[in-house]
Amino acid sequence: MSDLRLVRWTAVGVGVALGVLIPALLTDFLRTLAADAAIAGLIVLSLVLLTGMVGQISFCQYSFAAMGAFTVGSLVAGHHWDFWLALLVGVFFAAVVGVLVGFVALRLSGLFLAILTIGVALFFDRFVLAAGNWNSFSGGLSSWRPGRPSFFGIGLRGEYAFYLFAFGVLLAACLLVWNLRTGKTGRVLRAVRESEVAASTVGLNLTAWKLTAFGISAALAGLAGGLAAVRVGSVSAGSYDFLHSISIAAIAIVFGAGSIASAPAGGIFLIFGREALIDWTPFSTQWFDVILGAGLIFQLVHAPDGVVVDIERRITRRLRPPRQMPSESEQRSPERVPAEVG
Amino acid sequence: MALLDLTEVSIRFGGVQALLDVSLQVREGEIVGLIGPNGAGKTTLFNCITGVLRPDSGHIAYDGKDLAGVKTHRRARLGMARTFQNLQLFGRMSVLENVMVPIDAFSPGTPVGDAFRLPTARFEERKAEERARALLYFLDLLDVADLQAGDLSVGMQRRLELARALASNPRLLLLDEPAAGLDARETAALADVLFRIREQFKVTMLLVDHDMALVMRACDHIYVLDFGRIISEGPPEDVRDDPEVIQAYLGEVA
Ligand SMILES: Nc1ncnc2c1ncn2[C@@H]1O[C@H](COP(=O)(O)OP(=O)(O)OP(=O)(O)O)[C@@H](O)[C@H]1O
Ligand SMILES: [Mg+2]
Repeated sequence: MSDLRLVRWTAVGVGVALGVLIPALLTDFLRTLAADAAIAGLIVLSLVLLTGMVGQISFCQYSFAAMGAFTVGSLVAGHHWDFWLALLVGVFFAAVVGVLVGFVALRLSGLFLAILTIGVALFFDRFVLAAGNWNSFSGGLSSWRPGRPSFFGIGLRGEYAFYLFAFGVLLAACLLVWNLRTGKTGRVLRAVRESEVAASTVGLNLTAWKLTAFGISAALAGLAGGLAAVRVGSVSAGSYDFLHSISIAAIAIVFGAGSIASAPAGGIFLIFGREALIDWTPFSTQWFDVILGAGLIFQLVHAPDGVVVDIERRITRRLRPPRQMPSESEQRSPERVPAEVG
Repeated sequence: MALLDLTEVSIRFGGVQALLDVSLQVREGEIVGLIGPNGAGKTTLFNCITGVLRPDSGHIAYDGKDLAGVKTHRRARLGMARTFQNLQLFGRMSVLENVMVPIDAFSPGTPVGDAFRLPTARFEERKAEERARALLYFLDLLDVADLQAGDLSVGMQRRLELARALASNPRLLLLDEPAAGLDARETAALADVLFRIREQFKVTMLLVDHDMALVMRACDHIYVLDFGRIISEGPPEDVRDDPEVIQAYLGEVA
């Protein structure tokens, strides 16, 4: 057990150190990509919560991200709000939309939930973010151009500074989700996933917990959107469309929504994988989704719970051989149970 | 006044009249048996009592209050707990976690407390774990606390269902075939476990099982259900000798 913890926290420490040091050596262009990877990691993390814990799939995480991004865009660029306040409002709006979607999704799961969330994503693409419908939010034909804020007096205009900020937000979010997962919230959500009838019979309010999960997940995605708005410096609908949601969901599944490590890994793969494809191969970016699809098939066959989850499981097994099931005959008979509970 | 009081509860599924005018009382402190051939409607009755199904007509009162419109999780809060005939454990969670969940359900902690590991959340967590371990000890499952629930033998899974049901400190425990899949030795031990549970948890029980020896031994009062109707009720000796009951069971064998 303690071996396992040692390995886990060493891995986290090495990851954080590399995450800080490597971008210091990179060009500014690669640093912007690194920041994008951290932001995409946040969206994968939002699925680690929703899919990994409650078992609900979502193909509209970028619509939640858009709530964060366009709120920040319109408030900061359109109304000269302070970025931090706008970010807070954006995260809140995203959570509200998440709860609303969760409400419609309450009785759905699997294929029907997938279809519903695809519908939500298309509704955002075609209506909410489309020019002409709600220009005070979407910015109409022009995109919002919010400037970068400073963080406790430290300007985030430099690409390395901004990257470190985004990376820090991702780490903090991972820590919070880790805490949720290992605490009561994680237990309760997994119980809902395992058996809804048993969960409600032991006193869990399924509605409340599912909406909570959708709300937190959407808030994380909204946070990612708010950061993306100022990373890029302009907010346009194309960056938050349905196809982005599909790709990120595929990545969460390939890497494994059961593990928090899938968040940074998935973010890096999405951004740098696509970039590597353009730079080092004759293929265009469209092929990235083909590769992702092939990855999905490979993963479904060889590591049904996801690649990262599979690797973690192998390491765990090596460090801690599975305990033998005590056979029934070795068990003490229940008659000899002492009487100290009540 | 009875703790659980059913008056003329009926429900049908398409062409099947699963329950017809079922009236039944369970008084505080009693162990009441509910027996009947396969498909008689016993599990359906449990589903109506716990709010998983809504009866077409009739009333279910608990502790003097009508339960119409009260959701399943609310009924748990009123002190009802049950086990499932078709084992509904949280399969991919540890044995310990399975028993902690009902305690979590009643604890005041919020996701905010969890996310920031507030002292109150950590305190609740420790308390829940301690209580869960005590219950596992009581049902002789402490040795397997860290295993996945889905990996246990059927006998242990049945005991885990019991531990989980007791975790919320219920007033009324509904047991749906707790002896199904147990060997003779385990079944014999189960009656004693039930007596010890009644003694220590001061809990009232409604017990469904096909094992006559167990039901006759454990119950103060027995109801017999056949094709959705109560065909007999009374103390174990009377029910055993009732010609209608013998007929219903013989009919099943024939
Ligand atoms: N959800 C449902 N939909 C349709 N029919 C149902 C449903 N639940 C139960 N039934 C039917 O209602 C009748 C009673 O079933 P129930 O499971 O309550 O019987 P039981 O007494 O628990 O039997 P067993 O001893 O086999 O567990 C059966 O005919 C069953 O097929
Ligand atoms: Mg049954």
